[in-house]
Amino acid sequence: MHLAWEPEDEAFRSELIAFLDEHAPSETRAQRDFAGEDAGEDLIPKWARDWQATLFDHGWMIPGYPPELGGRNCTPVQTLVYLEEMTSRGIPRSLHFPGYAIVAPSLLEFGNEDQKLLAPAAIRGDTIWCIGMSEPNAGSDLAALSTRADVHDDHFVVNGQKVWTSYATHSQMCCCYVRTNPDVAKHKGISLLIVPMDTPGIEVRPLRHISGSDGFAEVFFTDVVVPRENLVGGLDDGWRLTQGSLAHERAGLWVEGVARLEQSIDGLVELAKRRGVAADPIVRRRIAEGYQRAASLSALGYKGFTSFAQGTSAPEHSYMKMATSELGKALYELGMEIQGPYGPVTDVDRGEEHGRWVNSFFVSFANTIAGGSSEIQRNIIAQRVLKLPRG
Amino acid sequence: MDFAFSSDQDLLRETARNLLARECTPSVLRGHRDDPAAAAPLWNHLRDFSALGAGPTVDLCVFAEETGYVAAPGPFFATTALFQPVLGAIGSGLADRASTGEITGTVALAGADGFWTINKDRVKTFVLDADTVDVVALVEMSDGGGASVTLLEHPSARRVETIDSSRPVFEVDVTAGERIPVDADVVDALVARATVVLAAEMVGTARRLFDMSLQYAKDRRQFGVPIGSFQAIQHKLADMSLDLERAWSAVYYAAMALDADEPTAYRQRAVHVAKAAAGEAAKRAAKDGIQIHGGIGYTWEHDLHLFIRRAYASEALLGTTGWHHDRLGDLLFAKR
Repeated sequence: MHLAWEPEDEAFRSELIAFLDEHAPSETRAQRDFAGEDAGEDLIPKWARDWQATLFDHGWMIPGYPPELGGRNCTPVQTLVYLEEMTSRGIPRSLHFPGYAIVAPSLLEFGNEDQKLLAPAAIRGDTIWCIGMSEPNAGSDLAALSTRADVHDDHFVVNGQKVWTSYATHSQMCCCYVRTNPDVAKHKGISLLIVPMDTPGIEVRPLRHISGSDGFAEVFFTDVVVPRENLVGGLDDGWRLTQGSLAHERAGLWVEGVARLEQSIDGLVELAKRRGVAADPIVRRRIAEGYQRAASLSALGYKGFTSFAQGTSAPEHSYMKMATSELGKALYELGMEIQGPYGPVTDVDRGEEHGRWVNSFFVSFANTIAGGSSEIQRNIIAQRVLKLPRG
Repeated sequence: MDFAFSSDQDLLRETARNLLARECTPSVLRGHRDDPAAAAPLWNHLRDFSALGAGPTVDLCVFAEETGYVAAPGPFFATTALFQPVLGAIGSGLADRASTGEITGTVALAGADGFWTINKDRVKTFVLDADTVDVVALVEMSDGGGASVTLLEHPSARRVETIDSSRPVFEVDVTAGERIPVDADVVDALVARATVVLAAEMVGTARRLFDMSLQYAKDRRQFGVPIGSFQAIQHKLADMSLDLERAWSAVYYAAMALDADEPTAYRQRAVHVAKAAAGEAAKRAAKDGIQIHGGIGYTWEHDLHLFIRRAYASEALLGTTGWHHDRLGDLLFAKR
C-alpha cells in the first residue's frame, strides 16, 4: 500500500504534459466548466475534430492501443495516469464518444477482418458513429427491443424505431441492435448490424435535450436493406456484444466523473465567496460534505483500479457510475441554491458564469439515467456484488 | 499508487480476524457490560500486538478494523493509538514497556466541549478506559501556548455513562505532577493519526452491521420469498455497501498519506475525509441495518444493538462527522 506512482509512470505523465502544452487548442479549456455532453450550438465543432485527429496521430488518443489505433501500447497504470491528467485539466479527447469508446472496441473484439478495418477511422473521428440501442419500449429493459431485421440470403431488411440515439444527426454509420429471431427468449434473438446512415429508408428526427440543445435523435427504419456481410459476430448472438466497451479503460472511467466533482467543489468555493456567503456555516458544511464524498469516491476508484490491474474483478465500476452522477447533480443544485433568487438566471449580464450552475444541473439529469440508470446500478450491485436473490 | 495489502498485512488481518472471532464473542461484550474483568482474557491476547502502536499507520488500521468488527472492549485502542504516540513524543522510557504490552495507558486531552483540541480546562473529558489502564497521560495547553504532558498512575476517574459499555469513558481532574513540554503540532499530528485509526475501527463496526443485515435479508422470508429479493431492501443494502466501500478507501488513503509524510494540508484533509466518511457509513449501517432487521433488531436479546452502540459512540469520539466537515470547510475556504 502506497500513494506514489512509479518513476516510469511519472515520466509518462511528463511526456503527456509536454505534448498537451504544445498541442492542446485553447478551445479545450472552455469545456471544463460544464457537465459534458452538451457542447452548445455546434455538436462537433471543427477544432474538436482536428484535436481528436492530432491525438490519434501522436499516439495519445487511446494510449493503451498500438500506434495504428491511435495509441502507444502503454500499461494500464499509465492509462490511469493519462485519464487523470486529461480530466484534471478539463481537456476532452473527443466530443463524440460512441465511435472511439464503444464501436471501435466492439469491432476489434467481435468483428471480422473487414470490419476491424473500420476501427481506426472511428477512433480518429474521421467517421462519426451512432449506436442504435434504446427504443420507445426498450429502455432499461434493453433486451425487449423490437426493431426487426428479416433475414434473407444475402441481406437483412430492417424495420422499426430507435430513440435517444446520440449523434444520429451527424453520423455516417450506425451500430444497430435488431431482433433477428422473435421465437426465442428475448436475449437470444438479437443481432448487431453495421448500417450506413445514407441507406434509403432511414429517417432521423432530432430530439432536443432538456437543456435546449440538439444532441440525440429518433431514428426510423423502413424497409432498410443491409448487406449480410454487415452482421457483426454471429446471427442471434448480439446480446453479449452490448457489453462491449473499452475494457482496459473501464476501470478508469470514474476518473472523469471525479475530476468534474473536484472542479465543481472548487467552483462552489469561489461562487460562495463572490456571493458573500463564504462565512455561512451551512454553506461551508455542505460544500465540505461534497468534498468529503468526492474525495472518498476518488479513493474508492483507485482501490478498484488496483484490483483491476491485478486481474481481480472490480465491482467498483457500478458504484462509481451511480455515485459520481448523483453527487454531481447535487453539487450543481447547490450552486443554484447558493445564488438564491438568481439560481435559475441564465442572462449573460446578470447571472453567475453564464448560468453555469443551472445549465450544468439540467444537463446532469442525463447522467443518472443514460448508460444504466442509478436504479439499475443498485440492482446490479445488490444482485451481482451482494448476491441477493432476483425479485 | 497501490491499494493492495502486502502479504504480511494480509496475514495480520487473518490472524486478527481469527483470534477476535474466537476471543471476543457477543457474550464477552455482554459480560463486560456488567463486569470490566470479563474483558481481561481478551487483553492477554491483544497485548501481544501492542507493537503495532509504534509501527506504520496502515498496519494499525488493519488490526483496528478487526477490533471494530467485534466491538472489542479493553485498552488496545487507547494504548496503541493514543498513549504510545504521546510517550514517543516526550521520549518517555515507558514507551518500550508499552509497546511490549507490559503496561497500558490512555490520554486525557479533550476539555469541557469534548473535542480533542489542546486546552486549559481543569477537567478532561472522554478519557477512554481510565479505570483499567496503568497510566493516564494528561495533555494540557501551557501558558506559553505550547503543550505539556503529565503522566499519572491510576488517577481517580469519574465514569460517565454512555450508550456504549464496550468503551467506557471517564472524566479526569487536572492534578499536579511533572509537566513535560511537547510541541503542540506534534500533539495535533498524533491526534490526527488516532482519528484515522478510530475511523478504521468504525469501518469494521459498520461492516459487522452490514454483514449481519445482508445475511438477515437473505435468510428472512416474508410473502413466501427472502426479503432480500425486494428492491426496497436491495437498494438500501446497495447504498450501505457504497458508503462502506468509500469509507474503507478513504481510511486507507489517509493512513497511506500519514505514513508517506505528505504535506500537512494534504494530510489534514485526508484525515477529516476519513473520519467523516466512516461516520456516514457507520450511521447508515446502524439505521438501515436495524430497519432491515425489523422487530427482532429492536430487542435486547439480538446482538445488533451491541454494534449500533459502538458505532454511535465512536462517531462522536475524536470529532463528530459534522465537526470534521466543518474543519474541512475551513481548509477549503482558507486556500488562496
